[in-house]
Amino acid sequence: MSAALKNQTETPDNDFELTGDDHPDSTFELEALQPEAEQPAPLQAELFLPESNPEQPEASPQIEFDGMQKPLFNVLLDDGREAHFQHAATLLESLEAQDVAVHYQCREGYCGSCRVQLQEGDVYYAEEPMAWLNEGDILPCCCIPKSDIKIKL
Amino acid sequence: MAYTTFNRNEFDTFAQPMFFGEQVNVARYDQQKHKIFENLIEKQLSFFWRPEEVDLTNDRKDFADLPEHEKHIFVSNLKYQTLLDSVQGRSPNIALLPVVSLPELETWIETWSFSETIHSRSYTHIVRNIVPNPAQIFDDITRNEHITRRAISVTEYYDSFIYLSNYYIQLGEGTHQVNGETIEVTLHELKRRMYLMMVSVNVLEAIRFYVSFACSFAFAERAKMEGNAKIIKLIARDEALHLTGTQHILQIMAKGKDDPAFAIIAEECRDDVVRIFAEAAQQEKEWAEYLFKDGSMIGLNKDILCQYVEYITNQRIAALGFDPVFPPRNNPLPWINAWLNSDNVQVAPQEAEISSYLVGAIDSEVDTADLGDFDL
Repeated sequence: MSAALKNQTETPDNDFELTGDDHPDSTFELEALQPEAEQPAPLQAELFLPESNPEQPEASPQIEFDGMQKPLFNVLLDDGREAHFQHAATLLESLEAQDVAVHYQCREGYCGSCRVQLQEGDVYYAEEPMAWLNEGDILPCCCIPKSDIKIKL
Repeated sequence: MAYTTFNRNEFDTFAQPMFFGEQVNVARYDQQKHKIFENLIEKQLSFFWRPEEVDLTNDRKDFADLPEHEKHIFVSNLKYQTLLDSVQGRSPNIALLPVVSLPELETWIETWSFSETIHSRSYTHIVRNIVPNPAQIFDDITRNEHITRRAISVTEYYDSFIYLSNYYIQLGEGTHQVNGETIEVTLHELKRRMYLMMVSVNVLEAIRFYVSFACSFAFAERAKMEGNAKIIKLIARDEALHLTGTQHILQIMAKGKDDPAFAIIAEECRDDVVRIFAEAAQQEKEWAEYLFKDGSMIGLNKDILCQYVEYITNQRIAALGFDPVFPPRNNPLPWINAWLNSDNVQVAPQEAEISSYLVGAIDSEVDTADLGDFDL
């Protein structure tokens, strides 16, 4: 028994340990039996947006073919700011990654909060959004550009 | 014209407008004039939640520790939201169902109202958990003049439409003598009142709720009343969908897509729409003043909340194709976006219920790496 405890202090990372050959009557020793030094963890309530930068994706294990790169589109804002779109999953993610703040709520096309005006160019929706769209409006949360675009926030 | 619960006429669904056409009969969804309403129903059903799923025991402690002026802010908002959802839980049904002409829209209205009743139940859940005597809070809703004053503006358009539409359902169009009173019922006036009513509902869902939401999330930003914030997130998710529904109804009307008379009325009422939005914004600013009368809270004060009201009013009226009411400004509460988005709160599961969990669902995935620590 004492040998088991000693063994345990040497490998503190193990959740629990089975003692085998040395001890005919195998027993569990839970790490929880040891007095814990750490203080109680604070309540974890954390808000998060995508962890990685959507416009700078990490290296992909997929083989890259020449001439198959994702197209790069310019995204011009009517106040003169310039951004681009290449890797992100949606235009909204791309804009956020480039420090362009857009109002948003549902991020899946039903609330319409992120509505912006499309002044030039064309966008594509993988799925038709539910929110009402006036002529010339787009929802950046669920579309990607099909060409260079100009938008008004 | 008398209302019947099952219209025996045969008619072409696709020729019916949203309202004031043939009364509905078979609740069938194989022929849909506006498919958007079925999409809304499906989305709303997928959002189903129950207030009891959210644990509020920490909120009780938090509430007891709040300073008096913050208790006032919290409780007042709760009262106001209770009022709003009491109205919304019944009014769309009473006002719209008797005159609706499309089955998918009828079902959307019922689904919409039903989800508001969940919100009302969640307020009782919150109040029960934070104070020993819930009646104190609920009784004050009809007594507090700051709240009743706003109740009037929330309900007047509903009531004015229902008043006239009751006569229309019983007596049809024309000039009627009822109890010595002369009642003039015209479809034009009915449709005008309905349009203004929908605008006022839009304002309720798009602006009025968000003032309370902002306060709830401001508490949660300081890690106070977090269970409450989780419920408010679920409510905000529903309200965003209802708002989309109302915007669709308003825009289908305004474009005259299925009833040209509504296009004319929408054009006539443009000034009224701007007035309703501006009045609501003004009332919400006055409310902000009442909320913070005894002191501000960290992260939120009267001025910031008023700026937020102006910002959100501009956003919402632009969605209906109108020019902004206030000078354009940036969002004064940018952190609120993350709270309004319902799917991005990560909470230690032993600390609280996670709203995105399915009831009864478990994670049964086991990787061989999980067993790497075993030492035999």
